[in-house]
Amino acid sequence: MKKALLLVVLLAAVAICGCAQNKAQNKVTPTTTTSTQVVLIGDGATFPWPQITNWINIYMKEHPNVKIEYNGGGSGKGQADFAAGVVDFAGSDPPLKKNLWDRLVNNPPAEGKGPLQFPDIIGAVVVCYNVPGVKQLRLDGKTLADIFMGKIKYWDNEEIKKLNPGVNLPHKEIIVIHRSDASGTTDIFTTYLCLVSPEWNSTIGAGKVVNWPVDKMGRGVGGKGNPGVVAELKNTPYSICYTELSYAIKENLKIVALKNKDGYFVLPNATTIKAAASHVSMYIAPPTAGYKENLRQLLNAPGKDSYPIVAFSHLLVWKHYSDPVKDKAVHAFIKWILTQGQNDKYIVPGYVGLPKSITQKVLQEAGI
Amino acid sequence: MQGSLRLRLFKEKLFLLSIAVLTIATVLPLFHIMFSIMIQGIPVLIKGGWGFLTGTLAPPGGGLGGIGPAIVGTFILTFLASLIGLPVAIFTGIYAAEYPNSLIGRATKTLLMVMMEFPTILVGLFVMDLVVLPMGSYSAIAGALSLAIVMMPYVAVYTDEALRNIPPKYREGAFSLGLTRAKVVFRVLVGLAKKGIMTGVLIGIAKVAGETAPLLFTAGGASRVYFDGLNRPVGAIPLLIYNLVQQPYTNYHEIAWGASLLLMIIFLALFLPIRLSLKEVKL
Repeated sequence: MKKALLLVVLLAAVAICGCAQNKAQNKVTPTTTTSTQVVLIGDGATFPWPQITNWINIYMKEHPNVKIEYNGGGSGKGQADFAAGVVDFAGSDPPLKKNLWDRLVNNPPAEGKGPLQFPDIIGAVVVCYNVPGVKQLRLDGKTLADIFMGKIKYWDNEEIKKLNPGVNLPHKEIIVIHRSDASGTTDIFTTYLCLVSPEWNSTIGAGKVVNWPVDKMGRGVGGKGNPGVVAELKNTPYSICYTELSYAIKENLKIVALKNKDGYFVLPNATTIKAAASHVSMYIAPPTAGYKENLRQLLNAPGKDSYPIVAFSHLLVWKHYSDPVKDKAVHAFIKWILTQGQNDKYIVPGYVGLPKSITQKVLQEAGI
Repeated sequence: MQGSLRLRLFKEKLFLLSIAVLTIATVLPLFHIMFSIMIQGIPVLIKGGWGFLTGTLAPPGGGLGGIGPAIVGTFILTFLASLIGLPVAIFTGIYAAEYPNSLIGRATKTLLMVMMEFPTILVGLFVMDLVVLPMGSYSAIAGALSLAIVMMPYVAVYTDEALRNIPPKYREGAFSLGLTRAKVVFRVLVGLAKKGIMTGVLIGIAKVAGETAPLLFTAGGASRVYFDGLNRPVGAIPLLIYNLVQQPYTNYHEIAWGASLLLMIIFLALFLPIRLSLKEVKL
């Protein structure tokens, strides 16, 4: 019995070693023709995870000697892992803060030095509603803020009626659904409300978690994560929520057309999101000074086609990696993402590629 | 007299009935979980076929692909964790059973109980600090160490219990034959407690095969690379499920159901035989 067990253990050990050796041999053979096999590890934001996964799948097909993993551990984990040097690149929705950036510059890990931060993909925070019988809804920033503040109580309020002539709005209470967990989506949405409503700015403010006044009125409902919010919306008639565009598309939700800075009502789509991004491209921080990026400058963009709540997701890489093979591989992958990767056919529905004006600027300033 | 007897019989029936209902309510979630995983998972496994077990992750919205790297990772992690954890745990259990009244022996037993209930996410953070940061990479080793720490108290406690359950006459008999203490423990007592110890071992293995939290900060995760060395990240089925369900894509949810079914099969394959054979452990 004991001997049999020992034998099994030994066999398993041999098998694992054998596999490892096989891999090693596989690695060596193609070296003669192409470059060496390299594995890149990334971690971070969950929001761009599907898009990055898609890029990786395509890129690996075109470059069989490169293997890439990206795990969606969240923006915070991505930043921490990148600073500790345990991953080769990281995804982060919000740009880095000054103190972390200084640490990366002055005290980099052995992995590499010279942090670079740049946007890789754009999404949008959209407002969705579940009002039976209403197929189109238009809101402006102030009305939206008033709804989420609880000042507007019924769907047939004068303010909403004025924006939606001819729409048959019911006399029902508005149920406001928001995120119950700390979320970058909430941060972006509330920052936008601060920009369009001075009252929101002074009483509630912006952040990953805010104090929702509607909760105290009994008309607020929290949902965990985007899936939680979407499920609440579907199950609650006469409700309204904010979520990411990709979820709204996947779940076939009705989306509010928002009034932009120039006074036009726009729905979020590739055209309107790209237009907004182009209009704020000068506020994208240079890759070598990522901490300078300010969310407030990127929201409520001017331009008649611009959708007001766009969200940039960022990638973090090193300018110099201590491993030269990795250095070449990461930079080639990044360059591919910012050029071919932005091609519409490689973009997952719900996300929007960066306009050329931004990618060119980023590539030039990063100097990779 | 007759009336009060009937009342008492009725009360007994009522009590039994309520206990039965509560018992069913307790185990119902288990069957519900198993049932829903099978309903949702079996079609995925059939549709995905062999490729589901060997392939790599599909793009969002693009078919089923496979969860090969996660399966390989789970096996590597479980195997390594057993290699690290089992010897230490079994010896700890033997120690606690052999010196039940000494200070260290008692402390060991108490600490093992604490360790058993310790939040596993903290184990992961601890190993991250200890292994991942100095090594500069997530790795199979770090994940396995984390799992080993989770596994050890179970195995040690089961070993300890199994040894304590042996009637003292066997120990006395062995000593009376003039055997040394080491021989008594390892040749006689451990042999007698073999089934109990094996139960602990298998429960420990089954437990860590399904763990997510200790791996979050240690294993790293992989969905395209099968194995790149022990000092490099590996995947794991629970980690993959955790990542996939957060996405809005139906194909990722399907893959997660298939992976859940597979995880349940692995777990039950380890767990059921032990639980069923547990009856025979009684001496």
